[in-house]
Amino acid sequence: MKKPIGYVLPAVLAFALGGCGIGGGGGDDSSAPVTGKVTGEITFQTWNLKGGYADYFNGLVTAFQNANPGTTVKWIDQPPEGYQDKLSADAAAGSLPDVVDIGPEAAFTLANAGMLLDLSKTDPGAQSAYLPKAWDANKFASLGGGTYAYPWYLNTGPSFFNTALLQKCGVAKDPLPGTYDTLFAAGKTMAGKCKGDTTMVGRLPAIETFGTYGVRLMDPQGTKFTFNDAKGVELVNHYKELYQAGGMTEETLNKLQTGELDAFKAGRVGWLPGSSYTLKDLKATAPKVAATVAISPQITNDKPNMYIESLAVNAKSKNTATAVAFAKFATNKENQLAFCQKAAIFPSAAGALDDPYFTKDDGTPETKLRLESAKAVSDAIVYWPAAFSSKSGDHLREQIALAILGKKDVQAALDEAVKYADGNLPKK
Amino acid sequence: MTVRQTHDRWWAPWLFLAPALAVVVTFILFPFANTLALSATDATLLKPGRFIGADNFVRLWQDDRFRVAMTNSLLYVVCVVPIMVAAPLVLAALVNGTTRILSFLRTAYYLPVVMSSVIVGLIWTNLLDSRGLVNNVLQWAGAVDSPVLFLSDRWLTLFSAMLVTVWTGLGYYMVIYLAAMAGIDPALYDAAAVDGAGPIRQFLHVTAPGVRATSALIGLFSSVSAFRVFGEVYVLTGGTGGTGGQDITVTMLIQQEGTGLQAETGYAGAISVVMFVVLGLLLAGQLWFQNRRASR
Repeated sequence: MKKPIGYVLPAVLAFALGGCGIGGGGGDDSSAPVTGKVTGEITFQTWNLKGGYADYFNGLVTAFQNANPGTTVKWIDQPPEGYQDKLSADAAAGSLPDVVDIGPEAAFTLANAGMLLDLSKTDPGAQSAYLPKAWDANKFASLGGGTYAYPWYLNTGPSFFNTALLQKCGVAKDPLPGTYDTLFAAGKTMAGKCKGDTTMVGRLPAIETFGTYGVRLMDPQGTKFTFNDAKGVELVNHYKELYQAGGMTEETLNKLQTGELDAFKAGRVGWLPGSSYTLKDLKATAPKVAATVAISPQITNDKPNMYIESLAVNAKSKNTATAVAFAKFATNKENQLAFCQKAAIFPSAAGALDDPYFTKDDGTPETKLRLESAKAVSDAIVYWPAAFSSKSGDHLREQIALAILGKKDVQAALDEAVKYADGNLPKK
Repeated sequence: MTVRQTHDRWWAPWLFLAPALAVVVTFILFPFANTLALSATDATLLKPGRFIGADNFVRLWQDDRFRVAMTNSLLYVVCVVPIMVAAPLVLAALVNGTTRILSFLRTAYYLPVVMSSVIVGLIWTNLLDSRGLVNNVLQWAGAVDSPVLFLSDRWLTLFSAMLVTVWTGLGYYMVIYLAAMAGIDPALYDAAAVDGAGPIRQFLHVTAPGVRATSALIGLFSSVSAFRVFGEVYVLTGGTGGTGGQDITVTMLIQQEGTGLQAETGYAGAISVVMFVVLGLLLAGQLWFQNRRASR
């Protein structure tokens, strides 16, 4: 408490809130077929990609401009922190970039506000160029079944185990836990042998964990969430039993994904659901842990989980034809393959996963990991429902923590989480 | 210049006031009025919303998170304000002097005030972590067998945040007390000494009554700051509001509901309005209590 600024903060906050009524409203052109000449200037916004991939993107922009004389693409890259806030500010101010790098959850919110082009109406033929499941990730049943972004890159990842920790705590490393049942059993074994703050599991289940466990997350119409069913309760009860057996610390009940990764790097957590670039990260930042790491397929009772990034087109773009052309150019098979060879990601373009880069083994651990992940991508689906907002995700985590601490009944906690998530669905 | 000429320039005072008025209207009055209006709508960040009357306030009443947030914020006021009024006064009395060591101590106590709240948060997070210095010392001394969950347990997290608030605020209020103490007539201390009063009696019967008005002011300031606490709890809980959201405060709830792509600005506005009313009542209560005490 430094200053008598009790009146300043509410005023600033109120001002911030005050600006929130601006913007919004769908444009009439969001569902009409895109026509017009590919020309003029557009803005293209990415998220945290300038650091390692500036040459790739500068080349991409130059190639597009050369192929389409008279066009200018202004590339803007936003820093990793606060990307959602930047999108929010742009959307509220009506200054969303023409082509924007976006996940399904943000696309859903912006599409609901009429800010994105509905590709199922403006460019229905584009669907065949992408993997059906990638195209469907941006198809929103509760918004009339429209599709609001061109699929770009995919990511998934296997399980990473700290074998030194497993050995120390009495868990066999051959075979490694491959199902949720074996994972929870190993977690309890570890809790029995290693008292303290080293555990198998480092984070509470997120919505995609429910999906991989086999819980039905939402009804087919996308009108209500259903993860509070008996299967969902069963999953949370497993976590509760693990916690009660000492297989999770109280600290882990408040951990986000970064906290789980940090704990794994510090050698305090045995299992990490990683991504295709986790190994590279571990080698660079936690070499001792990386040396003991064993990689095994993603733990799932169903299909593996994957994440997707897409390129959406602003429905109010002044150069819609150019924006659409550029989004399709950036997400075509050739450009996706080129990008995947620079970054540890996977293409969503149809047929791209058949490229030798994802099928031919050269014997190195990195290639082995890439091939396994690519195989998992072929089989994987995007579990996270686009209509499940990050606020709903936070609320779910809080409710599960209360249930595990015994402050709330598991069923009641999940019912509350579902009620909250339903409340955040678009109002009819 | 004639009298008539002066009257012709009726706009002159307004001209001088204009910059300040423009700032007040733009950054305080308009947003305040807009927040009031928003609180009666179901507006989101991307949609202006429609009038829903008092629905947001009814929803607030039924919202467990709001109840938890209000409890935590009020508890913060109850615990922190008395310490903030008393501790800096004692500290000021101890370092009030002209020797070099006292000058050094005054600077040292003021140092946390000029530090970034993020740095302060990181320092305390590292100190209070289950593998942090405090737990290592406690375990080394044999005071505890397992780490104390300063940053995970609901109440310990809240009290840890209060500790950080007090640590950072002590120096600031100490300086205010030092300024107030400079205004106390030294003859009063001489007279008390002649009457046989030692340092403690002098503090109780000369210093404390001499800075009563300043104490009242600090009580008001620290109440407002404590009720709208944000940074300390945010940093210590990693922005989550603690395990199960049990350490969330009203300001954090406004931030969570009112920011991001899915922001419910109408609902956040309603929370802001309730916060404004509670703060107003809190301050009015304090003023009434102090006036009553002064009139005795």
